[in-house]
Amino acid sequence: MNALKVELLSCTPADHIRGALGGMDLPDAELLPHLSYTFAIERISRSCSHQLVRHRVASYAQQSQRFIEVERLREHTVVPETASERAPDVFDAYIEAASRTYHGLLERGVPREDARFVLPNATETSLLMTMDGRSLLHFLGLRCCNRAQWEIKALADAMLAQVRAAEPGLFRGAGPYCYQLGRCPEGRFSCGRVQEVRDRYSRLALAEHGDSGSTRAASD
Amino acid sequence: MRLKLVAHTPDVEALIATAMLTTTSGSGPSAIFRRLSRDPTRVARLVGRLEAQHGSILEHNRFCWILEAVEGEVLDILLKSRFFNFTRLDESRWMLSCNLRTAVECAQGSRDPFAEALVDSIRGAAPTIVSSMEA
Repeated sequence: MNALKVELLSCTPADHIRGALGGMDLPDAELLPHLSYTFAIERISRSCSHQLVRHRVASYAQQSQRFIEVERLREHTVVPETASERAPDVFDAYIEAASRTYHGLLERGVPREDARFVLPNATETSLLMTMDGRSLLHFLGLRCCNRAQWEIKALADAMLAQVRAAEPGLFRGAGPYCYQLGRCPEGRFSCGRVQEVRDRYSRLALAEHGDSGSTRAASD
Repeated sequence: MRLKLVAHTPDVEALIATAMLTTTSGSGPSAIFRRLSRDPTRVARLVGRLEAQHGSILEHNRFCWILEAVEGEVLDILLKSRFFNFTRLDESRWMLSCNLRTAVECAQGSRDPFAEALVDSIRGAAPTIVSSMEA
């Protein structure tokens, strides 16, 4: 199992737009929809990418299992911590069986596009994702939240670090919605630790302040 | 009506080529992008092979213009595609943005001064795409 990898490959330069506007002060909320952010996202599970594509105001190019054979499934799975701690033998046995079945189908001439039906959600995938700034802020609001599932939360936190480094002014206030809004919008599902979460993301913002960063620095 | 490109995603065609190869390559998109960024000839060759119906890979970018136009002209543009994004700056100036797919589909759908200005403005950032459109 490998750690997920996120890299901000490119983004629309906000300073070019501000420069073109002369002295006109355009609020960040008006500027963000005109900017886009393109990330290379690697070594996430297919279950994570399923969650990701629910964010519809975005563009995706994902590695295809029709074209790419999963040669060594065991080396290309994401294993949840709970499974590796509580039932590693059960999880490993299933991956082994899935791998055997997948390759058995291929050996009997079943095409990749059909053999992939037996691959588990744990299978690693890579994709290119582009979001406009407003959609990205919304994504971070939902997925940096303590209620988000651990893998997509890890992904969102890594993306946040990258966009804060690239555009510190625009994304200093980005993070889970309790950090953005100053209150938790999750109602009775709230984790109840709003102040703790807000303090954590404030400290992250302070730590990153002044760090111009690199848009191409991998997070792992 | 006057249209001036003020910003766009850097390395537009390298990103398009990265999106193309990401779906069919065993390498991750970061490695693909790094390789392609150093090889503009390969980027041009790949992007030149792009088939029109695979428009989604043209979406990994954003172009931003300042448009001088009256409200009726802005409405005409909005009616061409719902994917144009507008912010009003003052009585006659607007910030307009979209991705390359929207720009290309708009230009292919109509031959008016706006479409011509749109294509002219993206020629420098996406030369292979514009050449393919004009071929």
